[in-house]
Amino acid sequence: MTLLMRMLLRDWRGGELGVLLAALVLAVTMVSGISGFAAALKGALRQESHSFLAADLAVRDSRPMPGDWVTQAEASGLKTARIMSFNSMVFAGDEGMVLASVKAVSDAYPLRGQLRLSDEPFGPLYTHTGAPPRGSVWIDPRLFSLLDIAIGDNVAVGNREFTVAASIRGEPDRSGGFLGVGPRVMMHVDDVPATGVVQPGSRVSHRRLFAGDPDAVAAFTAVLESQLNEGQRLQSIDGSQPGIGNALGRAEGFLLLAGSLAVILAGVAVALAARRYAQRHQRYVALLKSLGARSPRVRRLYAASLAFTWLVALLLGWLLALGLQYAALQAFAAQLEVAPSLFSPRPYLIGAVTALVCAVVFAWPSLGRLTMVSPLQVLRSDEPIHSAREPFDYLIGLGAVVLLMWWYSQDLKLTLAVLLGLVAVVLAGVAFALVLLRSGRSLGMQAGSVWRLALASLQRHGLGNALQLVVFAVAIMLLLLLTLLRTSLLDGWQQQLPDRAPNHFLLNIAPEEIGGVRTLLDDHGVVSERLYPMLRGRVIAVAGEALPVESEERDAPRQREANFTWSADLPEGNELVAGQWWSGSGAAEVSVEQEFAERLGMALGDRLSLQIGAAELEVTVSSLRTLDWQSFKPNFFMVFPPGLLDAYPVTYMTSFHLEPQRKEFLNTLLRSHPTITVIEVDAIMEQLRTTLTQVSAAVELVLVLVLLAGVLVLVAGVQSSSDQRLRESALLRALGAGRGHILGAVAIEFVTLGLLAGVLAVFSAEVAFWALQRFVMELDYQPSPATWLPAIIAGGALVGLLGLWSCRRVIGVPPARVLREL
Amino acid sequence: MITATNLGKRVPLVDEELAILKGINLEIKSGETVAIIGASGSGKSTLLGLLAGLDTASEGYVTIDGVNLQALDEDGRAALRGRELGFVFQSFQLLPALTALENVMLPMELLGDASARERGEDYLQRVGLDDRSGHYPRQLSGGEQQRVAIARAFAGSPRILLADEPTGNLDSATGERIADLLFALNREEGTTLVLVTHDLKLAARCQRQLHMERGELEERERS
Repeated sequence: MTLLMRMLLRDWRGGELGVLLAALVLAVTMVSGISGFAAALKGALRQESHSFLAADLAVRDSRPMPGDWVTQAEASGLKTARIMSFNSMVFAGDEGMVLASVKAVSDAYPLRGQLRLSDEPFGPLYTHTGAPPRGSVWIDPRLFSLLDIAIGDNVAVGNREFTVAASIRGEPDRSGGFLGVGPRVMMHVDDVPATGVVQPGSRVSHRRLFAGDPDAVAAFTAVLESQLNEGQRLQSIDGSQPGIGNALGRAEGFLLLAGSLAVILAGVAVALAARRYAQRHQRYVALLKSLGARSPRVRRLYAASLAFTWLVALLLGWLLALGLQYAALQAFAAQLEVAPSLFSPRPYLIGAVTALVCAVVFAWPSLGRLTMVSPLQVLRSDEPIHSAREPFDYLIGLGAVVLLMWWYSQDLKLTLAVLLGLVAVVLAGVAFALVLLRSGRSLGMQAGSVWRLALASLQRHGLGNALQLVVFAVAIMLLLLLTLLRTSLLDGWQQQLPDRAPNHFLLNIAPEEIGGVRTLLDDHGVVSERLYPMLRGRVIAVAGEALPVESEERDAPRQREANFTWSADLPEGNELVAGQWWSGSGAAEVSVEQEFAERLGMALGDRLSLQIGAAELEVTVSSLRTLDWQSFKPNFFMVFPPGLLDAYPVTYMTSFHLEPQRKEFLNTLLRSHPTITVIEVDAIMEQLRTTLTQVSAAVELVLVLVLLAGVLVLVAGVQSSSDQRLRESALLRALGAGRGHILGAVAIEFVTLGLLAGVLAVFSAEVAFWALQRFVMELDYQPSPATWLPAIIAGGALVGLLGLWSCRRVIGVPPARVLREL
Repeated sequence: MITATNLGKRVPLVDEELAILKGINLEIKSGETVAIIGASGSGKSTLLGLLAGLDTASEGYVTIDGVNLQALDEDGRAALRGRELGFVFQSFQLLPALTALENVMLPMELLGDASARERGEDYLQRVGLDDRSGHYPRQLSGGEQQRVAIARAFAGSPRILLADEPTGNLDSATGERIADLLFALNREEGTTLVLVTHDLKLAARCQRQLHMERGELEERERS
C-alpha cells in the first residue's frame, strides 16, 4: 500500500472527511434521484399523451396505405396497428336500425392507452387491450336502448351478423367526443370485407398506428415524412396537452426546480464542509511540511482524498438515489403502463458530474490552499491561511452552479429566475449584514452584558458572519421558494378538479325533450348545469375569400366544422382578448376562439360566411376569446348573440355530477330518450384525480428531501464557525462566566443571525417566486405575506437551536479539555 | 554543522517594522547540545524557526552542513528537513487521527523508509510506550504524548534535533522524566541538539547556553 493510500485511510478513519462526504452524497442522491424521478415522470407524461393517439405516431389517409410501411416499421422494431373508420347502418331484429360510427381495428390496437369496456350498458368498467374477437362487436351503451338489445344478442352490419360481446365505454383515441356523429360499433378489421359495406369510393378513413422506442419512432417519422403523399397526414402529439399531461408537466417542472435547488444547497454544503475541513487540517499540513513533506506531495494527498471521497460519495449517492426513485415510482406504479427504468443512465451521469463539479469548484479551492500553509504554524498557530482569493472562488462557484442548473433543468428562464433570487440574497445579504451588525453594536453597548457579549461577538466575526448570514438566507430562501411553488401547484390542481365537478355530459337533447329530461333529472335528485344550445355549422369563407374544402398544406386554412352556441354573457372560464362583448344591438356578430381564428385566418372585424344545414349566414367577428381547456366545462369555438340563430334547428347540451353507484340512472335516461348522447368523463377524471394525488405525494416527498438538504446546509453553516465559538466560549467559561451567560450570548447571536437571514430570505424568495411565476410557470404572481412572519420566526428559531446545539459541548465538557482539543 | 551569519528577522507593523532578531552569528558543531534561553518574546522561537528552515530570514543566512537554506525554496527546505532534522514541540503536535505508532512512523514514511514500522515499534519501546502503540493521542496523558513525540523525533535518525520548550506543557516531575529521556536518547544517537527553553535547569543540562535578549544573542560560559 502506498503512503498516499495509508494516509488517506487514516484520514478517513479519523472522521474528518465525514462532513464533506455527507455533503457530496447529498448532492449525488438529490440530483440523481430527483432527475431520475423527473425523467420517469416525463416518460409517463409522454405515454399519457401518446395514449390520446393510441400510438406514438399515426398516419391517416382516405385510401389504404402501402404495406411496405408496416414491413419497414417492424424492421426497426416498432409495433403497428390498423384502423378503418366509416359510417354504416346497424340492424337488430326487424325494426331496430341506427346509423353508427364503425371502427374496425387490428389485434394490436391500441398501441398506447387502453379500452374501457363493461358487460352491461353502464356496468362496472374494466380495461382491455386488443380488438374484438372475429364475429363479435362492442357497442356504445346507448345502442342497447336504441336497438332494444342486450349483451349476447345479434346485430348486423351490411351482410355480416355479429354477436354483441361488450359495451364500449372508452377509447384512448376518441378525442372529439362532442363531435362524434353516430354511436360507436367496434369490430375486428378482418371482418370488414365480409360486411361488404366498404366499396370503392366509400368514405373510409384509414389510420395506421406505430409505437416503440422513442429513437426508433423519431427515425421512422423522418422516413415517413419523406414518403407521404398529398392525402396522407402524419399525426403526432401537438403542444396542447390534455389535463393530465399538463399536471404532470408542471410537476416535472417543479421537480426539476427542486433538483436544481438541491444542487445549489449541495454546493453550498460542500463548500462549507471543505472550508471547515481545510481549517482543521492546517496544523496537519504544517506538521507534514515540518517533517519534510513537499507541497506537491501535500497537494497529491488532498487531491487523492477528494477523489476518493467523491468516488465513495458517488457509490453511496447512487444507491440512495436508486432507493429514492424506487420509493417515488412505487406511488405511480398503478398509473404507468410501462414501468420506467430505474437504470436509465442520464440521471446517474448528472449526479456524478454534479458531485464532480461540487468537488472541483467548491471543495478543491479550500483544500488546494492547504499547500500554502506555512510550516511555521507548528511553532506559531496564529499564522493565517492565505485567503485573498476566496471571493473569487465564490464567483466561480456561482458560475458553476448556474451552468449546472441550466444543464440540469435545460431551462434558461428557470435558471435565471433562481439566479436572480440568489444574486438578490447575496448582494442584499452582505450590505444588510454589515450595516445592521454595525448598528447592532452601538445598540448593544447600552444593553445588558449578555447582549453586549453577543453583539460584540457578532461584530467581531464581521465578514465571517456576513457569509454565514448569506448561507442561512440562501437555504431559507430556497426552502421558502419551493414551499411557495408547491402550494401554488397543489392549489391549481385542486381548483382544476373540484370534488363535485360535472362528470357526465348530455348531448343532442331536442328542444321538445328539455322538459322531460329536466323532470327525469329532478326526480332522481341529479343537479345539472345550465343548458347550452348547440348546432353544427361550417365556416366556408373568411373576409370574402372562400376556404378550400381540403387544403394541400397541412396547416393551411380550410373549411372547418364547429359547434355553435349562443350566450348573452361571456361564458364562464372564457377570457376576452380582443374586441367587445355584445351589448344587445342585435347585429350579426360572432365571438371566436383565438387559436381557431388563427387557424382559419380570421381577424377582428372580418366578415364570415357560415353554412348551417343548407342555409348560409353572414356574420362579423366582433371579439376573440381564449378558453380554459383545463376545465371540464363545455367549450365552444364560435359563440353568437342570442336570437341570431333562432331560425336554425338546434339541440341542447348539459352536464351533471353522478356518483359511480348511480350509473343505473343513465339506462333509465336513455330508455326514455334514446337519441340523447351520453358522454362519461368520470373515469378519466377519477384517473386524473388519482394521478394528481400521487404526484402531490411525490412533490411533498421531494420537498421534504430538499428541506432536509436545507437543514444540513444550516448545520454546516453553524458548524463552520463552531470551533472558534467553542474556543471563545470555553475561554469565557474559564474566566468564570456562568452557563446561562454563555448560552444566552450564543442564543442571542444565532437567533439574531437567523432572524436577519429570515428577513433576507423572505425578500429574495418573493423576488425569485415572482420571476418563476411570471416567466417560467406563466401563472399570476401573488405575494404571500402569510408566509413572511412564520419564515422569519422559523429562521430565528432553527438557527438559534442549531447554534446552541453546536456549542452544547462548552457546557458539558470542562473548558480545559475544549481548549486543549481545539 | 549549523551556522547562522548576520541573521535578522523583521516583521511589518502598521507604519514601521519590528526587528525580532538582529545580527545573529552562531556556529553549532556536530554532536553539540545547545540551549537557547530567554524571556517570552525575546525571539528564541523565531531563531529556532529560522535554523529549521521553517521560516525565511529578512537578512543574513543559515547553513546546515554547508547548504545555504536561503538559497533553497520551500520544497527544497522541506526535503532537507525530512533528511536531516527532527522536532520536539511544546504542544506535542501529534496528529489526532493517527495512533501513537502511526505518528512515530510518519516522518519515515514520508522518506519512503520501508522499515518504518519496525523502527517505529522499536522507538516506542525505547520511550516505554510499546503497550500503547495502538492508542490515539487523546487517550494519552501529556507526558505520554511528549514521549511519543520524542520517539517520532529520533526514529528517523536525524542528525539534528530541534526542541521547542519540550517540557513547557508538563508538570515539573513529568518534565524532568521527559528531559532525562530526551538527553538519554540524544547521547545514544549522537544527535546535535538545539533546545529552546526558559527553564534554566533544563538549559543547564546542555553543553552550551545561548542567551536571547531583545533579538540579540549572547553566549554564556557554562556555570
